[in-house]
Amino acid sequence: MIKSLLKGLVTAWFVATAAFFCLRLSPGDPVERILGAQARPEQIELYRTSLGLDLPIMTQYRVFLTNLVQLDWGKSLFKDKTVLELIREAMVPTATLAVIAVSLAFVLASLLGVYAAKNRGNLIDHLLRFLTLSALSFPIFSLAPILIILFAIELGWLPVSELISPLHYILPCLSLIIPLTSVLSRVIRNQYLESTGEPWINVLRAKGLGDGAITFRIYKVCLPTILNVVSMQLSVVLAGAMITETIFDIPGLGKLLLGAIENRDYPLVQGLIIYTSLIYLLLYVITDIVNAKIDPRLESAK
Amino acid sequence: MRNLSLEAKIGSVLCAFYFIWGISFAIWLNFFGQAPAPDMTMELISPFKQGFLLGTDIYGRSLFAMLSAGVMHSLGFAFATALSSASIGVVAGGIMALAGTRISSFIEGIANAIYIFPTVLIAIMIMSLWEGGTFTLWVTLVAVGWPGYARIARGEFLRVRNMPYVESARAIGQSPVKLFYKTMLPAIMPVIIVQLVLGLSGVIMSESTLGFLGLGTSEYSWGELLSMAKDVILEAPFIVVTTSLTMAGIILGLNLLGDGLRDALDPRSTGDKT
Repeated sequence: MIKSLLKGLVTAWFVATAAFFCLRLSPGDPVERILGAQARPEQIELYRTSLGLDLPIMTQYRVFLTNLVQLDWGKSLFKDKTVLELIREAMVPTATLAVIAVSLAFVLASLLGVYAAKNRGNLIDHLLRFLTLSALSFPIFSLAPILIILFAIELGWLPVSELISPLHYILPCLSLIIPLTSVLSRVIRNQYLESTGEPWINVLRAKGLGDGAITFRIYKVCLPTILNVVSMQLSVVLAGAMITETIFDIPGLGKLLLGAIENRDYPLVQGLIIYTSLIYLLLYVITDIVNAKIDPRLESAK
Repeated sequence: MRNLSLEAKIGSVLCAFYFIWGISFAIWLNFFGQAPAPDMTMELISPFKQGFLLGTDIYGRSLFAMLSAGVMHSLGFAFATALSSASIGVVAGGIMALAGTRISSFIEGIANAIYIFPTVLIAIMIMSLWEGGTFTLWVTLVAVGWPGYARIARGEFLRVRNMPYVESARAIGQSPVKLFYKTMLPAIMPVIIVQLVLGLSGVIMSESTLGFLGLGTSEYSWGELLSMAKDVILEAPFIVVTTSLTMAGIILGLNLLGDGLRDALDPRSTGDKT
């Protein structure tokens, strides 16, 4: 547990450092780019000093790390709010979307995966394999418009943009759930099949356990692997949620990031990248710890 | 290969189709034609009208030509990126498995840190800050891509390292470099190739994602085409459909081929052979 925490911390430092140096070492002068070509030299100098960009780079780095830890992430260059305030506002829709998508996909994939594994080789198994493979061939930014064409334009069943009623959540969630379910159900199916051949299952059967109870136990054994894949997929979900937002016009992190990139709002871009990475790392560490709790073998192996 | 599954065969046919498509468009572009140029009088023509097979996009460029250019661009870029990542990854994996503990744990630390971190996010960060074009994207994707190969190569090198034939080669005094690329590399190649095939589709996905977000890359990027298409989804839904299908075809082909090759290599794998 301490080891995974440490690993997360080291990676967090790595990400922050990468974000810092990417910005400082990027070609061209950021200040000139922010102020535009018409800016007078004095203006540029003044702005540079106000941002602390005239200090030696290692001093800047130290200031940057201290501010980061003290949660002083700077202000947006264009909106009159701090980076953290903006992130907090935008966090809600994105988190809602991601949580709904991940939990629904997890349940759905478990059902489909176990079902496919138990009916290995029959028509439904093949059909599921075919469907999941095809679904994975459509990146989220092509899947979402196709869903819009299908359900909103052709059939006219569902509304598209913004999040006014629960109905508005359906299409954005669906475009996240479909790829995630596809990945997870394939993993669950294969993992389940790999465990079914093991001797301890025969013991359970000999003890007289019912089919349902045995299925549940096999599933429990697969759980650490599945959770690992979920945590690996979380970055895809985060990125996916951000892309989905731009398509469905949802005021979340993704839209904030894209707007910030377009406006060259560097503090905001930097803050958003570090923030999303930290969330992601946190989830990663939690998965590690949960895994060790579920499967004691992992803990003792360390 | 006789023992390839049906899926792998479908995959290889799809891949071959796209390769021929991309290469013949490249040849045509070089010798006869010209790149699709904007023509505002021809915007958003439906498929099969006015001599356009698939219609035109919002700048009046022939969609068929744009998609063909996209095939050429995506495949070329994917190969350049995946091959570079794989080469660096194999060398790094070899060092991790074979070199002394200090060097190997250093490289392993870097690889792990990059590996945990979400690829697309790093790419978005670098591309938005550096405002580079295709070359920057290539560097970025290679930088985040190699650890995946390195981890696999490391495991494979560890597996091969103590095999009798490698020991014999070492015993007759083969130099470490020769031992690496002549004796051990061929043995791990199949696994790397499988990873490479799957990696190609990964690169195509990442590249078009960044294109969709408007972060540099080529004007022929499918992602950029789709981001334009989503703004005219009511007037011209066909652009979304044809672009998506074109992109899905190559990704599906590569994934089928990669999965199929992996199943053929690993008899324990639970993927069904149909």
